[in-house]
Amino acid sequence: MQTEATLAQSDVSELDLVKRSQAGDTEAFDELVTRYRARVFSMIYNMVHNEQDAWDLAQDSFLKAWRSIGRFRSQSSFYTWIYRIVMNVTIDWLRKKHVKGGDAEFDDTIQLTQIEPASKTVPKTEALPHQVMEQGEIRVRIEKAIGQLSPEQRAVILMKEIDDMQYHEIAEALGCSIGTVMSRLFYARKKLQNLLRDVYEKV
Amino acid sequence: MKRFEEKWTAWLDDQLSGRELFDFEASLPDKAVAQAEKADAKKLGELLKRELGAHALTNEEFFNHQLREKIVQENRGSSEIPTSTWWTIPRLLWAGTASLAVFLIFTFAVMQEKNPAEESQYLTQILNARVDPVVSPNASVSIFEVKQDRVTVLWTEGLQSLPADYAAK
Repeated sequence: MQTEATLAQSDVSELDLVKRSQAGDTEAFDELVTRYRARVFSMIYNMVHNEQDAWDLAQDSFLKAWRSIGRFRSQSSFYTWIYRIVMNVTIDWLRKKHVKGGDAEFDDTIQLTQIEPASKTVPKTEALPHQVMEQGEIRVRIEKAIGQLSPEQRAVILMKEIDDMQYHEIAEALGCSIGTVMSRLFYARKKLQNLLRDVYEKV
Repeated sequence: MKRFEEKWTAWLDDQLSGRELFDFEASLPDKAVAQAEKADAKKLGELLKRELGAHALTNEEFFNHQLREKIVQENRGSSEIPTSTWWTIPRLLWAGTASLAVFLIFTFAVMQEKNPAEESQYLTQILNARVDPVVSPNASVSIFEVKQDRVTVLWTEGLQSLPADYAAK
């Protein structure tokens, strides 16, 4: 864990890199890319499940960041800001590729009365084979399950569960309200619990 | 937080406290089932974290190199630094003003040509009429007017028939 001093130091240096980038310093921007490329790539990969596409989208995201870094006002962290660009690029791409979430926009239309409070989720998948699943197979199951979420639900669950982002950070990155984030998280979890219950109970 | 989904999510993530937590848990029909669901959600989160964690980016240096190349290409295309996007605003303004001026000049010219005050009522009626291109595809209509003699000649060619609403009243 970072101490407050090192955290402050890294914050200052990041701010410095941002300011230099805003002045057109490509080396400073290169340093920012180096800091965030792994996280950005990993997040995009988990959204699109393809290395080449993830690479291209990460490149596009950073290029867009470079073009618009002059508009970054340091009101949020650079990380949240770059995530907003990443999410816009990736969600747009997913929409264009017609990657359908099973319940796209489901969370905006469903009525509260349809949800039984604390309802037990029941796995809809077929029973697992008796042999222990290989690690790769588990990953494939997870990726398939995530593939059934809408792009927005994917983004929310990955930012929350993988990147440990706070609700307000996710809301900022996606440009929506905290309530929307929580609502999307609710439906994403429900769906993944339905699809992956057998996996996480056995692993 | 108003909606059930929001409260449920906050409860799962241990974000509820005090009165809110008490009220929410009291509203649950079966707390044991809810707790089991919460444990499930935690397991799901752990599974996702373990399996999806960090997906390694191979060729990291090439990633930066490729990006640098793209930035250099962009910079070559535009001598401006990325912060200076302000120049697009005056350019847009100029384009908008020029378009508006062209539109106004064109409109003024058309209005001058078709100034109804200088036309006779009969001429206006004829000008307002339209030849149906389906009925008479090769039709043409010419109008001659001598104002001092109060004479207007309507010269038509290629008309199959003259529609009833062309009749001057």
